[in-house]
Amino acid sequence: MTHLLAYRPLIDPLDLHEVWFLLLIPLALFVSIAYKAVRVDDMKTFWPAALWMAAQIVVGMIALGTAFFVVIEWLVPIIAPTPM
Amino acid sequence: MVQNEKPHPETGFDPIAGVLALSLPGAGHLAQRKYKRAIFIAIGILGLYLGGLLIGGLSVVDRKSPRSETRISFIAQAFVGPIAFLTDYVHQTQFKTTVQRSGPRGGTLPPVIAPPGQNRMNLSLGKVNEIGVLYTVIAGMLNFIAFLDALLPSVRREQKKEEEPIRTTGALDAVLEKGAS
Repeated sequence: MTHLLAYRPLIDPLDLHEVWFLLLIPLALFVSIAYKAVRVDDMKTFWPAALWMAAQIVVGMIALGTAFFVVIEWLVPIIAPTPM
Repeated sequence: MVQNEKPHPETGFDPIAGVLALSLPGAGHLAQRKYKRAIFIAIGILGLYLGGLLIGGLSVVDRKSPRSETRISFIAQAFVGPIAFLTDYVHQTQFKTTVQRSGPRGGTLPPVIAPPGQNRMNLSLGKVNEIGVLYTVIAGMLNFIAFLDALLPSVRREQKKEEEPIRTTGALDAVLEKGAS
């Protein structure tokens, strides 16, 4: 808590080293807002399209992360076991 | 029904909107009177850019960084517009602290960034720095997309809105509709 009190915006970086992965959510949301503002034909469908795209990005990143975890932690040791 | 179909170009060309889009995110669409689009483009791109600066500090925008990744990232960040150059200028002139190094035989080596105690700002490191750079780089890339959309606006999309679809109900269709009902 004390390190947050000493935070000076733009001068100090945020101390989010432990929860850096949560920063993916605002990233996905802002990307979707800007991209769908250019892409959608009818602005009435803007918010559903932007939220759907943000959800797709987040789910896609989680799926990619899980897939890489499975490959690196389980498959690679089976395919190429470390010699003892 | 024979329609008088004139071949029209897929896109228009609006250099003024293009220049405005590069000078401020959303300004190009604002000049084209697409107010909602302009607001959401500005929120998305400036939100990402400011978010990146808040997460990683000013050190995420550094044209003269000793780290090649940060230096190369400035190419993408520059597409956000003059804001990126202003950020870099403030960073270089107000906050970046370098120290001179003496080299062998009385010569000098290129200056390096001052260690934490002597620096006017705390440099971001690790994942926080990477994410800050990522936010600002994506902001630049998205503004490039917005710039292209402002420069070459989609004519077909706008015409679709204006032209209401005309129902071409012929005699056969009328008979079929009657039969169905």
